[in-house]
Amino acid sequence: MKSRQPLFHVVKRDQAGPGRQLAAYVAAVVLALAVGAVLLLIQGVEPFTFYRQLITMGIPGSRYPWRSVENFIKLFVPLLITSLALALAFKMRFWNIGGEGQFIMGAFWAGFAAMQLGETLPRPLMVLVMALCGALGGGLYGVFVAALKVKWGTNETLLTLMLNYVALYFLQYFAETKTDWNFFLDPGSARPKFAKFPANAQMITISIGPFNLNLSLIIAVGLCVLLYIYLNYTKRGYEIAVVGDSPNTARYAGMKVGRIVIRTIFLSAALIGLAGAFQASSAGVLSTSITNDVGWTGVVVAWLAKLNTVGIVAASLLITVLQYGCQTASTTYPSIDANFANLLQGVILFIVLAADFFTRFKLVPRGRREAVK
Amino acid sequence: MKKLLAMALAAAMSLSLAACGGGDTPPAASSKPAGSNPPAASSTPAPADNGDFKVGAIYITSQNDVAGYTFQHHNGITTAMKDIGLDPAKQLLIVDNVAENYDDVCKAIDTLANQGANVIFGISFGYIDAMNDKAEEYPDICFSHGTGYMANETNFNNYFGRIYQARYLAGIAAGMKSVETGNNSIGYVAAYNTEYAETCSGINAFALGAQSANPDAAVYVKKINTWGDENLERQAAQALVDTYNCGVVSQHCDSAQPQLVAAENNVFGCGYNSDMTEQAPTAHITAAIWHWNVYYQTAIEAAMACEGDASKFVEKMGGNAYYAGLKEGFVDASPVNEAVAAPNTVAVMDAVRELIKSGEWDVFTGVKLSYNIADGKVEIVKTDAPLMDNQGSEIVPAGGPSVDDGVIKGSMNYNVQGVQEG
Repeated sequence: MKSRQPLFHVVKRDQAGPGRQLAAYVAAVVLALAVGAVLLLIQGVEPFTFYRQLITMGIPGSRYPWRSVENFIKLFVPLLITSLALALAFKMRFWNIGGEGQFIMGAFWAGFAAMQLGETLPRPLMVLVMALCGALGGGLYGVFVAALKVKWGTNETLLTLMLNYVALYFLQYFAETKTDWNFFLDPGSARPKFAKFPANAQMITISIGPFNLNLSLIIAVGLCVLLYIYLNYTKRGYEIAVVGDSPNTARYAGMKVGRIVIRTIFLSAALIGLAGAFQASSAGVLSTSITNDVGWTGVVVAWLAKLNTVGIVAASLLITVLQYGCQTASTTYPSIDANFANLLQGVILFIVLAADFFTRFKLVPRGRREAVK
Repeated sequence: MKKLLAMALAAAMSLSLAACGGGDTPPAASSKPAGSNPPAASSTPAPADNGDFKVGAIYITSQNDVAGYTFQHHNGITTAMKDIGLDPAKQLLIVDNVAENYDDVCKAIDTLANQGANVIFGISFGYIDAMNDKAEEYPDICFSHGTGYMANETNFNNYFGRIYQARYLAGIAAGMKSVETGNNSIGYVAAYNTEYAETCSGINAFALGAQSANPDAAVYVKKINTWGDENLERQAAQALVDTYNCGVVSQHCDSAQPQLVAAENNVFGCGYNSDMTEQAPTAHITAAIWHWNVYYQTAIEAAMACEGDASKFVEKMGGNAYYAGLKEGFVDASPVNEAVAAPNTVAVMDAVRELIKSGEWDVFTGVKLSYNIADGKVEIVKTDAPLMDNQGSEIVPAGGPSVDDGVIKGSMNYNVQGVQEG
């Protein structure tokens, strides 16, 4: 019978020390970069130059360095907010993988407000209204699933996943339907295309010399602090952790689990919708590729950071550097296209996640199982 | 292991192909994988003062494609750069896979500007607003937008070609084949029809060309509502053969599937974008093709002639809307597959090509062509006749001048007589 056993067993390690964990991450990054270097060499690209451009994101010596920083912030803020929001849901073991859909809905309703009121409201008020519409749009889109789960115990993974596509096709419908009532489109173009928002619906920026600081960065930093306090120092934040660990314990302790789930998911989805609204007003226009996949990348960020708020800031910063740096570096090599840049990012992420796995588990070969026990 | 081997093989292949590349092969015929990095590719060394000139490009898909729209443009840009003496490996900056999303295009332009691009080409229609706005923001860079209609008076132009002229020539070949086979039904797989001036002007020109050789020719259009989908292209072509018994199948879509379907059904075809005789040697007669390098060479030379003052770009280009055709060599019909074509096809096409090049006549006018052929000599007969749409309205009176360029490029939304959408 012994031969029927699998070749390996996965066994949990004893608590790894922080030093060991750090060593594993460093080793993983080195290994990932080495694999990437081989791939680059096959493409005829000198890896060190490529990596230098990746890490510096092409900023030193460029003509308009402040533009690079602005664009970096535009990529960073939506990912940061979305990851924070997803971590909130994951902490409660509510598998919200509907970030894409909630983000699109946030952007859509912010765009709706921009196209309807952009000509009348003053700019600060307009940006605020867009943010509220986005948060409400995203929040309701998410809370719908939470309500179904609380009421009938439906599977939130499936529902949030499917609603991503519903949202995408919903937006696509407005993107491609050229009729008189479709105020989202540019009336001046024969082919359907989204119109730009009125000037007052553009995100507020603070000029520092030639550099324009996007207000959404400041708000995102503020949200990080608030969420950190909320999760660690408030009763409601504590309730999230208890419901995540054991809904029965929470119920026994007298918590209203359904209400906590609905409240938390609304908050999570509303934050994602807010990120969508910020993205829309920073871009100044809607588009069907507005999410830049943050709903998916955010899941990776949240887990890489083990749902820790500070960790999420670091992880989303690193992933944005990886994304933006890869794009900038590949620009200068005609043989490197975005597909290759994506492959490289995938390899690096995969190896880092594998290292994370092996700091917590180990493989024990067949036959030695008894010895472990 | 297998994958590694495949990768090594692919690398070896691309190197060997690159080594035998070069010469005056037209862009469509060259099969060199884009982006390989051959050490000895540029036979003409870049002059010292061109060394820091940088060309930027924004692509809708990847430069490593082996066929299709981006592939054609990338080939055009690299061919033009090599002909001028620029080294694409060092002087070409590319942001690829850029969706038609205003914000993404803006970011791509920022990246290219930051890396020192002197001229930026955007190849897809949806880049239009971003290019327009960024041209204002970066007045020291030349901007050039393919298929669009926006431009300014200094550093921003748009470019497109009179591909309808090439389609007229292909139409002649199809019409002559239909006379030879005695089957007047001609099929046309179209991405779109009257939704876009680009597609319906192509259909109309092709139909007029076919009618010039065979007055009884009927063109049946099947549209697939996307610019490229191999399955839909195949199904549409098969439906044209099955439903209308089409003996020749033409196309305005990305892949060679309609030509393959024609070959499978023992009928004939006219392709688009590249010479598809290679894919369907027993069916394909000729294709309407682009020589994008003609434009890119003109534009890069103009940008270089600005010598750092990008505001002169439009002036150096002789206007802010480049719209060239057969005359400039920007579009053409690919070499006729004489094993398949009807007799004298080449002679007639040559005669009409010269007529269009001379500027004496153009496709959408009130003058119709027909041909007298004797002993391989072609005489073109011009007859005044109104240009009618298929609803019976007159577009151009008999003997009248050509439809406006703006209409052909931007707002044509009818089919000419003899075209039927099915």
